[in-house]
Amino acid sequence: MQKTLTRTHDFKLPTAILGACLLQDENELIAACMDGVYRVEIGAKKHQRIGTHESYVSSAVYLAQQQAIVTAGYDGKLKWHSAMDNGLLREEKVHGFWSWDMALSPDQRYLASVTGQYMAGDYKYSPAGETEPSVKVLNAADGQLVHALPHVPSVQSVVFSHDSQWVAAGNLMGEVRVWEVASGKQVGSFQSKDFTSWGIIKSHCYLGGIFAMEFSPDNNEIIVCGMGDMRDPMAGNGKQLWQRWNWREAKMTAQTLDKQSGEGLMEALVLHPAGESFVMGGRLRGGDWNAALFDLASGERIGSIKSGFRITQMFFNSKGELIVVGGQGQPGKEADGKFPDFGRVEIYAIGS
Amino acid sequence: MRVVKHTETNGRGRHECGSPEHRVHRRLFLQGSMASGLASVASFNGLFSIPALAEETKKQGKKCILLWLCGAPSQFEMWDPKPGTITGGPFGAISTSIPGIQISQLMPRCATIMDKLAVVRSMSTEPNEHFQGVDVLTRGEKPRPPFTRPILGSVVAQQLGQLDSPVPQFVLLDPCPEGNEFKSFKAGNWAGWLGAQYGPVRSGGEYSIPDILRPEALSEMDHEDRESLRKFLSRKFENDRRSEAAAGYNAAFERVQGLMSCAPLFDLEKLPQADRQRYGLGAFAQHALQARHLIENGSTFVMVANGMPWDNHVFQHEMHQMLVPELDNVLFQLITDLELRGMLQDTLVIAMGEFGRTPWLNEARGRDHYSKAWSLAMAGGGIRGGVVVGETDPLGFEITQNAIDNRRLFATIFKALGIDPQEQYDLPDLPTFHRVEGDAQPIQEILLG
Repeated sequence: MQKTLTRTHDFKLPTAILGACLLQDENELIAACMDGVYRVEIGAKKHQRIGTHESYVSSAVYLAQQQAIVTAGYDGKLKWHSAMDNGLLREEKVHGFWSWDMALSPDQRYLASVTGQYMAGDYKYSPAGETEPSVKVLNAADGQLVHALPHVPSVQSVVFSHDSQWVAAGNLMGEVRVWEVASGKQVGSFQSKDFTSWGIIKSHCYLGGIFAMEFSPDNNEIIVCGMGDMRDPMAGNGKQLWQRWNWREAKMTAQTLDKQSGEGLMEALVLHPAGESFVMGGRLRGGDWNAALFDLASGERIGSIKSGFRITQMFFNSKGELIVVGGQGQPGKEADGKFPDFGRVEIYAIGS
Repeated sequence: MRVVKHTETNGRGRHECGSPEHRVHRRLFLQGSMASGLASVASFNGLFSIPALAEETKKQGKKCILLWLCGAPSQFEMWDPKPGTITGGPFGAISTSIPGIQISQLMPRCATIMDKLAVVRSMSTEPNEHFQGVDVLTRGEKPRPPFTRPILGSVVAQQLGQLDSPVPQFVLLDPCPEGNEFKSFKAGNWAGWLGAQYGPVRSGGEYSIPDILRPEALSEMDHEDRESLRKFLSRKFENDRRSEAAAGYNAAFERVQGLMSCAPLFDLEKLPQADRQRYGLGAFAQHALQARHLIENGSTFVMVANGMPWDNHVFQHEMHQMLVPELDNVLFQLITDLELRGMLQDTLVIAMGEFGRTPWLNEARGRDHYSKAWSLAMAGGGIRGGVVVGETDPLGFEITQNAIDNRRLFATIFKALGIDPQEQYDLPDLPTFHRVEGDAQPIQEILLG
C-alpha cells in the first residue's frame, strides 16, 4: 500500500548537518554540523550552538540514562555534553583520523565509532591496510575502550543490532564485518561489489562504499545503502541502491527493484518503528526522489519525497514521524552581511 | 629578444645552446654508444654505466618535471588553507619550516621542506572549464587558430632537449586512458607548430609502451638494415612530396628506435623496491619516481598525470584526504632526491592543475571549478624556495595581492629554465607570435639570480 509523506515542519541551521538525534522529550534536536553542535527547539525553530569540534561534527547520539549528548567529529574525538546545561563533560581522542560515523547500542551501554584514511595500497589504488584500528567500541558512560577491531579503511558506517548483541561496520570497498559486542569476536562478514566504483573515466581509484546500515527486525539480515557503480565516480550518478544481506551466510537476499531508483548517493537508512518498512535517503542526482519508504517484505517503494537538499540522516520519533536532516549547497555570496543558512531539518507525517 | 624562423626548427633541425658542456656531452654520448656496442641497444642501463657519461648527463642543461594535477585541486586543502572558516573545509592548517607560513594539515612532509618550495597563492586565470583550462595552463595561452601553440613540454624539449638522443626528451606518464576533457586534450596536437618530433612519448598503465623489444628472430644487423631502408625510402618520399605526414611518421619511427634502446627506463619493475615503497604505491607516485629516473637518464621534460582525479564535484574531502597526502609525499621525496643527487638546482618541479576549487561547497559537499583565486607550487631549477607569492582574502574568494595570470606564470617558468619568454615566432602566413604573449613579466620574487 502506498504511503504519503507530508511535510509538517522545516527550518534551517547555519551550516550543513551531518548527523542528528532527538532529546528525550522529542521537542529538541541535536544537530552535528560542519561548524559545531547545535541544540534546536523544534517547535520554536530556535537554535543555539552548544559546542564545537576541531573539524566537522559527524554524529550525535543521546544517552537518556545520563542525560548526556555524545558527539563525534572529523577531529577523531568523541565529546560528551550535558543535556542539562550543555556543558562539556568529557572528551576522548578515539581516532587519529576522522570519526566517519558513530552509533549507540539500543541498550545504551556501548558506543561504536569508525575511522580510516583511504591511502593507495597498490598501483591501482586498492586501499592500503589500516594504520590504526578502524572500529572502536567504547563504554557509553565513561568512554573506556572496550574493543579495537580491525577492518579495511576507510570504514564509513556502523550500526548495532536491535538486541545490542552485534555491531556491524561497512567500508569503502563494500565489505561489512560483524562482531559480537560482548567478546569482540568477528562473527560474520560479507562484501558487495555493487557500491564501490573504480574510475574508468577521470581517475583510477576507488570511491563509494557503504554509507548507512540497519539490522532487520529479527537481526538476521543487514540492509545497506550507498550508490551503484559509475564509470566516472565523480559524477555522483550511480543508482540509488540498497541491498539486504543475510550476514551469517554472506548472501544477498534482496536489493533495489528495477525501475524504482534514480541516481545519487544514499547515505541514510532507518527502519520504521513498526518494523514493516524502511526509509532510505541521500542526494538526488537524477530521478524524482531523494528519500523513499520501502516495504520490508517486498522491497517495493511505497512512498517518496524530493526534499531539495542532500539528506545525511533520518530517524523516526515515537509518533512515527520522519525527521530528515542534511544540507543544501553552501551559498557563494553573502546576503545582508552573512552567508545564508544552508543546514536543513524537515519533519514528515506518514499517512496512507 | 630573438626571432625564430620556422625553417630553423623544421625536420630534424634543432637549437643548441652551443656551450662546451653540451658538445662534450654529445661526444661522450656517441662514444658511450659505440663503446658499449650492442649492449647499449639491448640495455640502456648499460649505456649509463659509463661514469663520465652519467656525470655529463647530470651536468647538462635544465630539466623539468610537471606534476600535472589534472581535474584541478583545491587550494584550501593544499597551499592556502582557511581553517576554522565557513569555507575552510574539514582539514586544519599546520606550520612549516618557514615561520608564519601555514599549509594544509594534509601536507606534513612538504611543511618540512617549505624552504625549498615557492608557492603562488594568487593564481587568477580565465577559463573555468577543464578543456580550456588545460589548454591555457599547459600551453600558456588561449588557442588562436590556425596557430597551434606547443605545450610546455614540447617547448622545453625543443629548447633544452636533444632530439637525437635515444631517450625521449618529452615523456607523459599517465595511466588513465580516458579522462573526459583531458582525453580530448590528449588527442590534440601537443607539439603544435614545432612538429611531431617534439610531442610526448606516452607511457604508464594501459599506455605501457608495447612492442619496443626487438623480436628474437630478428638479428640486430637485419634490424638495422631494415631501418636504414625504411629511413631512405621515407626520406625520399618526404623530400619528393614535401609531406608533413611523412615527416611525422619518420619522427615516430625514430622515436621507436630510441625507445627500443631505452626500454628499461620505462619498466617500473626495474626501479629499486625501496624507492618504490618510499614514493608510495599508487600510479601517480610510481610515475613520479619514474620521472626522476627518466630525468636522471637524459629526458628533459616529464609530465606526470593520473587521469583527472582532482575534479571533486562530489566526494571532495573524501578524495582529497587521499590525493593530497599522496602528492605531499611525492613532492617531498622528489625534491629531497633531486637535492641529494645534486640535481635540484637544474630541475624545475612544478605541481599544478588547470585551476582551483570554489570556496563554497555544493550540495554534494564537493567543490566546483574556480579560476579566480587558486594556488600552485614550484621548486628547484632556478626557483627561490621559502617564498609565498600573493594572498587571498580570509575566505579565499578574491585575490587581495599580486594576481598572477597564465602569461606571467609561463614567463616565470621559461625564465627559470633559461628560455627566452619573449622570443618571437615568425611563421609563414601568420601574424607574429611570442613564446609568451603580452610582454608578460616573470614573478621576480621567486626567481633566483
